[in-house]
Amino acid sequence: MRPRLIFGIAGIVVFTSLVMYNFSQSISSYVDFEQAATMDGDRIHVIGIWDSTQPAGFSTETMTFSFFMTDESGNTRRVVYPRPKPNNFEQADQIVVIGQMRGDTFVSRDMLVKCPSKYNDATNPELSELQ
Amino acid sequence: MIGILGQAALSLAFVSAILSTWFYYRAAQKGGSGSESIANALFFLKGAFTFFASGLLVYLIFTHQFQYYYVYNYTSSDLQNVYLWAAFYSGQEGSLLLWVLSSFLVGLAIIRWTTPAYRAPVMVFMGMTQVFLLSMVSGFPIPGWGDLGASPFRTLASEMPDSPVFQANPDFVPAEGSGLNDLLRSPWIIIHPPVIFLGFAMMTVPYAFALASLWKRKYHEWIHPALPWTLGANLCLLTAIFLGGYWAYVTLSFGGYWAWDPVENASLVPWIFGMAGIHAMLIQKKHASSHKASIIFAILAYVTIVYQTFLTRSGILGDSSVHSFVDLGLYNHLLLFIVVTGGVGFALLAIRYRELPEPKKESPVLSREFMMFSGAMVLFLAGLVIILGTSSPIIGRLFVDNPTPPDQQFYNNWTLPFGVLIGLMTVVTQVLWWKRHNAESLAAVLIAPTLIASVVTLAVVIWVDMRNIWWMVYLFAAVFAVAGNGLVMYQIFRKNPRRAGGTLTHVGFAILMIGFLGSGFDRPMVDQRTRDYNRAVAAGQVFDDDGFRVNQPIEFVELEKNEPKLIDGRYMVTYLSGAITEDNRPGEQEYEILFEDVNSGRSFVMRPTVYPMLSNSSPGAVEWTVDPDVRTGWFSDIFMYVAGSALVDREIERMNRENPGHMQTIDQLGPQMADHDPEKTLVRVRRGGTVQIGEYTVTFNNFIYVDEAELPENSIIGVKADLLLVHRESGESVQLHPRFILASDDEAQYAFNPPVSFALPGVQDAHDATEAGADEVGPSGSVRFREVHPDSDEIELAFRGVEGEPEREWILLAAEHKPLISVVWLGTFLLMFGFSVSIMYRWADQKKREAQEKQSREPGLSGTEKREDEVRDGQEEVDNEDLAESDGQSRDKDKSPHPTELK
Repeated sequence: MRPRLIFGIAGIVVFTSLVMYNFSQSISSYVDFEQAATMDGDRIHVIGIWDSTQPAGFSTETMTFSFFMTDESGNTRRVVYPRPKPNNFEQADQIVVIGQMRGDTFVSRDMLVKCPSKYNDATNPELSELQ
Repeated sequence: MIGILGQAALSLAFVSAILSTWFYYRAAQKGGSGSESIANALFFLKGAFTFFASGLLVYLIFTHQFQYYYVYNYTSSDLQNVYLWAAFYSGQEGSLLLWVLSSFLVGLAIIRWTTPAYRAPVMVFMGMTQVFLLSMVSGFPIPGWGDLGASPFRTLASEMPDSPVFQANPDFVPAEGSGLNDLLRSPWIIIHPPVIFLGFAMMTVPYAFALASLWKRKYHEWIHPALPWTLGANLCLLTAIFLGGYWAYVTLSFGGYWAWDPVENASLVPWIFGMAGIHAMLIQKKHASSHKASIIFAILAYVTIVYQTFLTRSGILGDSSVHSFVDLGLYNHLLLFIVVTGGVGFALLAIRYRELPEPKKESPVLSREFMMFSGAMVLFLAGLVIILGTSSPIIGRLFVDNPTPPDQQFYNNWTLPFGVLIGLMTVVTQVLWWKRHNAESLAAVLIAPTLIASVVTLAVVIWVDMRNIWWMVYLFAAVFAVAGNGLVMYQIFRKNPRRAGGTLTHVGFAILMIGFLGSGFDRPMVDQRTRDYNRAVAAGQVFDDDGFRVNQPIEFVELEKNEPKLIDGRYMVTYLSGAITEDNRPGEQEYEILFEDVNSGRSFVMRPTVYPMLSNSSPGAVEWTVDPDVRTGWFSDIFMYVAGSALVDREIERMNRENPGHMQTIDQLGPQMADHDPEKTLVRVRRGGTVQIGEYTVTFNNFIYVDEAELPENSIIGVKADLLLVHRESGESVQLHPRFILASDDEAQYAFNPPVSFALPGVQDAHDATEAGADEVGPSGSVRFREVHPDSDEIELAFRGVEGEPEREWILLAAEHKPLISVVWLGTFLLMFGFSVSIMYRWADQKKREAQEKQSREPGLSGTEKREDEVRDGQEEVDNEDLAESDGQSRDKDKSPHPTELK
């Protein structure tokens, strides 16, 4: 039993440290656009909401979808996404874009659209809706 | 009124659940059938109340009583009946209710089929989980504290007492509900959630049995009745995972069947732990060891279900999952649920730990129990890694503030080596399971699969030009697993197909492994030019206007109506038609795109749809939603959708005109087209093609080469375009021949292409067309030949004075080549089939065992629990000896017909 036990414990220690190290490398923090501008890497996560007052749309020339997003600190930047508008985009109560800043534009590789509607928002619906 | 009734029913159900658990506890403590009968009665009562309340909720939904929060939030009066039915569990409260109902049915089965010795203690733990689930939906009023949990029977008024609407008129009832999200209006919602909750409910059984065994110190017996239930829970979870994956793939345009989303992981991890548990139980059954592991895995499988429920429903995952729940105020509730289920489980385990049987001697490495145990451990570790990733909002705080979920790469990198290990181990364990081997004989058996795997891996590596060394290892393991398990399966099927469940699941898993590899080879199907561009992007050679390196490839192509384009080097695609069909939803558009395979000459039409979805959150707003079409093939799928079209643009324009007040919808063409100069119209037209501009149709017939004599000095080459401009209404037309002359001076080349003015046909007071006179009075236009595109045989023209934008019929086609998707489904079906065969076999086996026990007990009636265990131990030993001596043939004794089998 003893050699196997020692082998097992050593294995567990190595495994755990490896997993935890790898895990810590593969996560990052949510930041705002200003912080993102100072960061390296191309998988920076920014949370925000869609600024619907400014133009948004898909360009067939550059094959990108672009829109304006306001982050949690209130900075608004143009975001370019290299795919068509995701389903549920307009309904999203939060958008997470993953990518990097280039000048004043955030180039997004991925976009997570947090949709309130599947298990609907428990917050008050628009009251105008009720009247 | 009905709401109060429903609330009362749920509260009564909650109270009966508590009481029944208490009486089960008494029955288990003191014995005697009196308490147990009361407990059973209370249990039925609880079920009846829950069913009654659910019936009321369904009634409220079907009668559109929007004064209820739940009804208002998830339904609307235009919903079809099936979706009204599904709306019952579309919300968080309702889905918890469904979980309670499933657990009740499973509880009934336990009461009906479990041996009396285990019944009461098992039902104590089953009851305990029910108390928690019910408390979350009961709305049970606790004086001085408020209502317990979130009742589905809350009214809107009680939810928003401060809203002015209700202050002005407390009896206000909204005329319409906010409806079910269109993405959920799919037949899959009918089946997917019930299966998943049935799986959750069944996974409670091994948990309850494990705890009952600890409590009652019966460490051997419990696995026999628990095994079929664990298999059943795993079958349900697998089916649910499959349904969810298939749903996401074919209708939700998530782009694949799996994304390591926390909600997906929430059912995957319990499945993995359930698998580990099944293997541990099988060791215990055959070898009378690994008692601890069976109990630990049985507890873990259920606790992870509760833990992942906590993660997805407490709002903790808010930012990291595309479809997590919003916190309903159940955070502490859920936390308590985990603490109690986990706490009771592990506390009992700790108390009894020393008593648990230990194997007398260590198993050799090449024994089935050692290999199987190691396999279970690998599964366990894989599950742990996935939990770690899913828990990033909590555990990630150790490393960074405000942690994001890990990259998908994290999951892929870790599951790959685990997959390799599991793949290799399944073969070795399966071989050892059916026959005892020493190293030499084992090696002899493994030669064939090793050879097959090596040859196939080598061939595939060369064929698809695989560069990743890890993928090669993985591929080898997967093919080895298919070949090795396939051989075992072949032998078992010849001998005793009833016992083939296990080997079927292993073959299914191996095939699944091969299928997973396919996702590494997904590729967008684009035309040659885009492909070259993407290659340049991948090589880092493309820079945008601001000098930044472009790192995103283009994944779709623009198609003009009736103008074929070759994509993926193999398919000639033609946009045939797009029209508003309203087949399933108002305003739904269906497109027809013809694919012609230039290699085989076969052709098929794909029909993706696009529909405007009314937003629930902002009334009047429309969002355009795509519904992909998938063409399934044996080896690869074509997944495609229409990402934008002229038709959608026109619809958006029409809606904006009709409804100018409402929220902006997103114009597909975007900002670039917004600053379009109405005076100047740029069009591209192919030789022989036509383009419509406002009231006119322009046909580009051909090039006319200009004689050298006509060319100005320094010219290199000159062409004219032979154009016909037709006014569609009047049929009047004009021929135009704008010039494009390429000239050069000493330093540079330049184009000489003066505009040609003409009187607009179909308009009165037509003037004579004169060349090069731009300042005409009256309705005239001009055209300028701007550019020649020899590669696409197109020219670019700039019209002035011709009103309207060019109306081209175009779509954006996003198509993807996805290899081995069908293989994934095949592997999944084999797994499901294997589980089903195993469940039947284990169930029959257990019935037989119970019948035997009854017979053996009847004459004496003196056996104590302790003694029974010893007897069982002895039987297992004998079983193993048999196996060793007769090379697995002893299994055949199970084939001998037994009276109970005939039932």
